[in-house]
Amino acid sequence: MNVLIIEDENSLAMEIAEFLQKEGFIIELARRKKSAEEKIFVNSYDFILLDLGLPDGDGFDLLKYLKDIPGRDDSVIVLTARGSLDDRIKGLEEGADDYLAKPFALTELLARMHAIIRRKHKVEKNEFKVHDFTLNIQNRTVCYGDERLNLTKKEYEIFNYLVLNKNRVIPRVNLTEHVWGDILEVNSDSNFVDVHVKNLRKKLSQMAPIDWFETVRSVGYRINI
Amino acid sequence: MKLQHKLAFYNTFTKIAIIAILGTLIISFVENISVNSLKQRMVDKRDKFVSNLSVTEINELLQQEKSFTDYNILKEEYIVLTLVNVTDSIPPQFVEEQRSIEKETGTYLILWDYFQYGGKKYRLEIGESMEAVKRIEKNTLYFTLLILLITVSLTLVSDLAFTRFLLRPFYKIVDEKLNRVNDPIHFNYEKADTTTDDFLLLDSSISGLMKKVSDQLLTEKQFISNVSHELLTPISVLRNRLENMLNDDNISVESLNKISASLKTLTRLKAVINSLLLISKVENQQFNKSDNIQIKTLIAEVMEELEDRLDARHITFENNLTTDYYFTGNQALLHTLFMNLLNNAVKYNKESGKIIISDAYPKTGYQIFISDEGVGMNEQQIEKAFTRFEKFSDRKDSHGLGLAIVKSIASFHYMEISMHSEPEKGTTIAIDFRK
Repeated sequence: MNVLIIEDENSLAMEIAEFLQKEGFIIELARRKKSAEEKIFVNSYDFILLDLGLPDGDGFDLLKYLKDIPGRDDSVIVLTARGSLDDRIKGLEEGADDYLAKPFALTELLARMHAIIRRKHKVEKNEFKVHDFTLNIQNRTVCYGDERLNLTKKEYEIFNYLVLNKNRVIPRVNLTEHVWGDILEVNSDSNFVDVHVKNLRKKLSQMAPIDWFETVRSVGYRINI
Repeated sequence: MKLQHKLAFYNTFTKIAIIAILGTLIISFVENISVNSLKQRMVDKRDKFVSNLSVTEINELLQQEKSFTDYNILKEEYIVLTLVNVTDSIPPQFVEEQRSIEKETGTYLILWDYFQYGGKKYRLEIGESMEAVKRIEKNTLYFTLLILLITVSLTLVSDLAFTRFLLRPFYKIVDEKLNRVNDPIHFNYEKADTTTDDFLLLDSSISGLMKKVSDQLLTEKQFISNVSHELLTPISVLRNRLENMLNDDNISVESLNKISASLKTLTRLKAVINSLLLISKVENQQFNKSDNIQIKTLIAEVMEELEDRLDARHITFENNLTTDYYFTGNQALLHTLFMNLLNNAVKYNKESGKIIISDAYPKTGYQIFISDEGVGMNEQQIEKAFTRFEKFSDRKDSHGLGLAIVKSIASFHYMEISMHSEPEKGTTIAIDFRK
């Protein structure tokens, strides 16, 4: 899958690119509105990551430009540091598929991209094999063989997020942000997530050994598949 | 006191004063004229009498003196001649004295004139009743008072009506251009409909002020937007770089820990910046408040999000709300407000404690109470609770902006937040929704 990253801050674009390349995406970069326009005109992309604050114009114009080209179905995720609610609403109204406020976690970006792929293309399988367990994204369930595990909403969210970002250390803050959202003060006590992970691991290990579910000391968690 | 009433009072007062002064002048003037004309008549009468003088007439008058018969029917005037025995010549003189004529007493203006006739000295006394003069005086006074009363009441009514009409644009300007302005950026610069220059001046001054205020707000808005961009972009770079480093296989455990700690610090920085930006935006009126919010439902949503926290600390939640109060405001902001308050109630509660939410309908509108059984605060702490960066615990999960956010969201919605707390017993937060 190819991704166009439209971002004027070079170092940020490089970090996103590095991350997504490891996930198997093919990356192209545009740092100005003008060059982005050219690229959009020539190629179609599976994903366009669009920064709103470009030095030579507003990102919304690019979004409009893209949506005016007939037959295009590029998925757009708006990235912005303006962080205003109005921008979020406007972005989604103008046809963006999702919205991420800077600073976002790369793992969150990946989770959103997966969600869009599932929603749009319906090609992605809904079931993930996680060793002896099966994660069903459609029904939001985790099963061991035929037996369905009784997970809470939060426990499911954590498991789902770790599986989507498999083989990767997920810092606690990323998990907290994903599960509890970007609620300012609440967000900051990230150790809270440990309680939920502890319960989740207990429920999983009752079924089978889970040495693939790793606790990376003082950092976070990793599920190895 | 309203200007309209002050003006009416002033006008009434000056009118009473002017009419009172005029009345006094007129009365004394009228009195003067009447008395003078009376005196003139008496002098004329004496001259006529003296010029027609004869012995017979004198005798006749001297005779009559005893019987007082020479009065006209109305007893308005009389004439008396007396024989006197004086040597000096005495000039004629006027006096005012009481006289009783046929059992009726009245005030008379009297002229005494001494003269010599046929070797004898006489005193001629001509009296004229003052009753007529007094009557005129009384009537004048009566009419003056009547006119005073009518004028004052008529002008009072007309003054009130006129000043009300005159001041109408003033109140309209105050109401439309000051009281009802929530958002100076969308101020109505249309000129006020008035011909009074002073009000036009007021109107243009207010418009000028609003222009300055809205310019400043726009500058601040721009500033906030720039700050967010300039601060959040580098944080974004750092965060993503650290995330990428975490997944480098060659990294040592020690470095891993340091990266993780840096990520935490960065998250904290992000939370502080976002909180400050939120407060600035709220204070800068950058949110709409036209959502219809059901408070009970909103609280239920927040509690659901906090459910796992309640469970983890075995805290019970008691919802005693009687009504689902409707409120027009900003849904997302009110969500944040209740989230912060309820999260505090969980965070600072004792293990297995209780959170009680109740409501009341005081005259001012609607009130919600959030009570916990936590550590509580002393008076000094309550005073500073809503101040930015004020922290009472050494908890790492607090950056001291939660209640500052609550305060700014509350005042944005004209809500009032008050706090009652006792150390080691718990805290109750009261939220007042104004009508």
